[in-house]
Amino acid sequence: MREQHLQDILRRLPAGVATLEGEELRYTFINEAMAGLLGPADATGQPVAVHAGPWPADLLDVMQQVYRTGKAYVAKACQLQTGAAGPIYCDVALEPVLDDNRISGLLLFAVDVTVQEQARQRTHELAIETRRLDARLRVLTETAPQITFTVDGAGRYEYVSPQWYLFTGQPPTCDLNAIWPLLIHPDDRLRVLYQSEAARKAGVGWSYEYRLRRYDGHYRWMLSRALPELHAPGQPVYWHGALTEVHDQRELSEARRRGEAELRFLADSIPELIWTATPEGFVEYYNRFTEDYSGLSTDELGPTGWINLLHPSEQAAAGRQWVHCIATGEPYENVFRMRRHDGRYRWHIIRARQLTDEQGPRWFGACTDVDDQHRLRQVLQTQYDELAQANRDLDTFVYTASHDLKQPVLNLRGLFDELRQGATFADPQAEQMLGMLDEALTQLDLTLQELAATVRDQRGLSAPAEELDVRNVAEEVLLGLRAQVQETEAVVELDAEAAPTLVYGRANLRSVLHNLVSNALKFVHPDRPPHVRVRSYLSAAGQPVLEVRDNGSGMVLPSQPAPVFQPFARQHPHIGGSGVGLYLVQRIITSRGGHLEVSSEVGEGTAFTVYWQERGLNGHA
Amino acid sequence: MLAASYTQAAALPAPRGFSFHTMKHIVYLSRAVHPLSDQDLQELLDQCRRDNIQHHVTGILLYSHGNIAQLFEAEPEVADALFERIARDGRHSHVQKLIDRPISARSFAQWSMAFHPLEPAGFEALEGFLLPHRVPAPPTSLSIADATLVELVCLAVFGPDTSAPYAQALPGAAQ
Ligand SMILES: Cc1cc2nc3c(=O)[nH]c(=O)nc-3n(C[C@H](O)[C@H](O)[C@H](O)COP(=O)(O)O)c2cc1C
Repeated sequence: MREQHLQDILRRLPAGVATLEGEELRYTFINEAMAGLLGPADATGQPVAVHAGPWPADLLDVMQQVYRTGKAYVAKACQLQTGAAGPIYCDVALEPVLDDNRISGLLLFAVDVTVQEQARQRTHELAIETRRLDARLRVLTETAPQITFTVDGAGRYEYVSPQWYLFTGQPPTCDLNAIWPLLIHPDDRLRVLYQSEAARKAGVGWSYEYRLRRYDGHYRWMLSRALPELHAPGQPVYWHGALTEVHDQRELSEARRRGEAELRFLADSIPELIWTATPEGFVEYYNRFTEDYSGLSTDELGPTGWINLLHPSEQAAAGRQWVHCIATGEPYENVFRMRRHDGRYRWHIIRARQLTDEQGPRWFGACTDVDDQHRLRQVLQTQYDELAQANRDLDTFVYTASHDLKQPVLNLRGLFDELRQGATFADPQAEQMLGMLDEALTQLDLTLQELAATVRDQRGLSAPAEELDVRNVAEEVLLGLRAQVQETEAVVELDAEAAPTLVYGRANLRSVLHNLVSNALKFVHPDRPPHVRVRSYLSAAGQPVLEVRDNGSGMVLPSQPAPVFQPFARQHPHIGGSGVGLYLVQRIITSRGGHLEVSSEVGEGTAFTVYWQERGLNGHA
Repeated sequence: MLAASYTQAAALPAPRGFSFHTMKHIVYLSRAVHPLSDQDLQELLDQCRRDNIQHHVTGILLYSHGNIAQLFEAEPEVADALFERIARDGRHSHVQKLIDRPISARSFAQWSMAFHPLEPAGFEALEGFLLPHRVPAPPTSLSIADATLVELVCLAVFGPDTSAPYAQALPGAAQ
């Protein structure tokens, strides 16, 4: 019963147990675990050499030797050839069995150590890999351009890569911890020592720059970065880091920073509006003067806010031109009025150009105050225009006057001739005087003729009639009057559709238009900007007519229209001018066979109507 | 018309310290994180239209080749909250606010979205969808500075070609 019990225990033991008997080592007992190792076929009674099962050949040899010598043997982590997926390792103990002091067999004892063996092998592989990585790390740290180092918690250097010695020129035997601080630039030394100590105390990494003395005595900017190696859960024990030379970058960015600061300072010091914009055309910087001038901050101005500063009548064109320049990259240039913080507008030239470099395109703009020049030019232009007009008027006046004087001179000549024939003079001196008078009269006539001819040729007043584009001529005239148009903020409407052409002398049409329009711009109603309408159309009789109608102050017309057109008859004594304008218009029109009509209402406006050809003459045509 | 007309009202920024406004508008530019497919765009359109109608948000969104720009108008709290949400939206990045200003009145009657779908067929009938060349001119109720901003935004999103219709937009462009 006890034997049986023992057998049961043996059978169920988790280690393999078997007994081999006799010289041939036949299996006599195999427990369950051993049967699992030996395979499905029952080996009981078979010699071990026949049923080798998982045993490697050399183990079979060892079994023979143990049987022969009687010395027990343990084969550690012996790899068994089983059909299982992975290799199985067992510690196999071979014990001789003695029967009457004679070896009668072997006791086989196999303990599965596969898991332990696998762990051991992994450890071994890891060790190999670690050595490989270690070698690689060493190669890397010693070939990379950076200096690498390891510092302990007290700030003592554990390791520094050979590059440090190359860089500093120090011998490998030097005392690293003593010499390193001395190689730091005196201006940086305290800061560096303080910063690294603070980081070590706090258990954090660091990143700072300082100047380190190179082998040649030059100090070079270095970037020192290190991270703590954390030994959970306690204090970090080592900091590993690298030292990178950043001298050139630092010099460059220093120069750029300095350059930028200087440029900004410059831009802020210039008494001009200066701004920069993104490639999309959004202004991102306005200089200080822009803020001073406009009374608005960069924020209030906004990315297109400069447009708000322009005179309302100029904003649309300015915006359109800017969009066009952004789309095409063309430079921007124009003259605009810009509002100052006090509400006054001053003329500015706005220029902007695109800069393209490796940083991508940007726009740079400047607004130069040209108000004084602009106003001066305007004044000069106005004076010039006035002088030119006065000159023209005087010429025309001379011409018409000489023309008008012709008849009286002719009459004088007639009277004189009659007087000479009919009367006798006793005084001999009288005859002489008559001769002189005759000569003077001839001279006067000649002078008048020459005068008329000179002016006529100069001014083209007698130029033959040609077909004229009324709109063209009117636009030319308005161009000459642009200063007055701008100054009075006038709206001038031009409509020549009904009668676009006119057969007339060019200089004459110009003179008529100039006088009538400038007249309308002069006699402005104080409460409203002038609105002048110039219309060329055909009368009911099919004759060309020109109307110039304004909304100005108007005038009281005398019962007879004539005085309006008298020379020097000034309707508005408070307004400048030679007063010959309307007289000339009248003279030109009548001399070419037309007539001028005027209607006016005080406070409402005036309308001049030019009938180029006399109704009576061509009315039936 | 020959001479300039002087009728355009001056559009000046609001005076400092002036705070009573019932509306504001915000304009921003951004970049889509990855190109938006027709389906992405339609989902965005549906979502925004639904939410914007609900919150009385009006304006326009422009999209092309990953470029995004949007102008929207709403009550200040609504606009600020919406911008917050949009700025955090993971579908785009580099959100760059260009303008954030009180306005006295809306310039857009509704909210719409303009882009080039790969398959335009299904889109043309969609409420709130516009082809880029159908984008209307910036409303005249915008100041000229703001209208110019909208034109530049359009140029930045669609490039010089498709923005052509906007070139007609600023007053006096026909001169
Ligand atoms: C380019 C872009 C534009 C958007 N525009 C709007 C918009 O106009 N109105 C809106 O309600 N949501 C808009 N959204 C969606 C919001 O970012 C957000 O997804 C939505 O308001 C839902 O937010 P919630 O998930 O936090 O509720 C936009 C998103 C993107 C990417």
